[in-house]
Amino acid sequence: MRFRIQYLITGHWLAGVLLAALVCTRASAIDKPYPGPFVENDQLLVVLMPRTPEQMAAFYEARGFPDDAIARIRKTCFVTVHIENKSRSVIWLEQKNWRITSNSKPLPRLSSDYWDAQWDDIDLPLAKRSTFGWTQLPLVRDLQPDEPVGGNVVFPGTTDSFDLEAPFYVGEDKRNGMLVIRFENVQCPQGEQET
Amino acid sequence: MKPNITSLCLYLLLTCLTFSGLAAVLPPGVMHVNGVPAPALKLANLDGKSYDLANSRGRWVFVHFWASWCGPCRREMPSIQRMTDMLADSGIEFVVVNTAETEDEVFTFLGIVAPDLMPLMDLDGQVTGEWQPRGLPATYLVDPDGRIRYQALGGREWEQQAYLDFLRRLRSE
Repeated sequence: MRFRIQYLITGHWLAGVLLAALVCTRASAIDKPYPGPFVENDQLLVVLMPRTPEQMAAFYEARGFPDDAIARIRKTCFVTVHIENKSRSVIWLEQKNWRITSNSKPLPRLSSDYWDAQWDDIDLPLAKRSTFGWTQLPLVRDLQPDEPVGGNVVFPGTTDSFDLEAPFYVGEDKRNGMLVIRFENVQCPQGEQET
Repeated sequence: MKPNITSLCLYLLLTCLTFSGLAAVLPPGVMHVNGVPAPALKLANLDGKSYDLANSRGRWVFVHFWASWCGPCRREMPSIQRMTDMLADSGIEFVVVNTAETEDEVFTFLGIVAPDLMPLMDLDGQVTGEWQPRGLPATYLVDPDGRIRYQALGGREWEQQAYLDFLRRLRSE
């Protein structure tokens, strides 16, 4: 898997170029034991942990999810994402800006509306819906300095790899530039495989 | 009477220093919140005894939301128990709220890592949802007027001196 990072500073292209050089160097120096592909620089850490259907089924089974919920979960691809703001600025997580593609076509994230419809179908109890909701990556978060956030991003099950491009605005008012994180050729592990 | 400019300047300087000092003493991961009224928190604990945050006016309340499946919550909980022991005489009320788990799940987990804590049970997760935490775990500090004054982001070692000092200072605010 390959991953790149790009730093853009509106009106400060030279600083952007210098910082891009710096962070690209950092991103290519892969020597930390994160359990999946990651990008790390002085401002941001992003780690992807694609999960097997067995891992997700085991997690939710252990929390008392019924069989029909587990069956629906097994049909999808869960990627656990960990993000950490290592900077002194606010950094914006906004999933609506993320671009996820597979074979050059958009790969739609399964939204909370999708899951609500699934849970309505099987009358999933409120407690389970709540637990499921808390295990998802927030759609929007103004990450404060040192603040981590984590959770799952879910796609329809696919054997194809996908690419992820995630822009993050910097600054409380989003005017201090943008970090763009890219992951390429991420694979959703299939059944019976271990990550 | 002619205003004493020197005294006025000195007063302004001291005021600035005081406020900058307060801001500086916030320990890592703790954010100031602009005093929004705390949402309702009325739940039964693991023993079935009811609790209502509205009855805690007049004292600071440490409100903590957690779940046993959440890794940072699991790591943080023993630290919360140690902190509550160390601040038993602080006048702060400590409230831990489990989010959407069963009594068996909570009892099994807390019995091992923090047996002295008596959690409130948000059995369907709806009360937690009303508080709109940034994630789990989530901690709020509610002032004696029932307003949220501080919020802690993620898990931390609450028994560290910086957090103990910060919490002890709350009574003087």
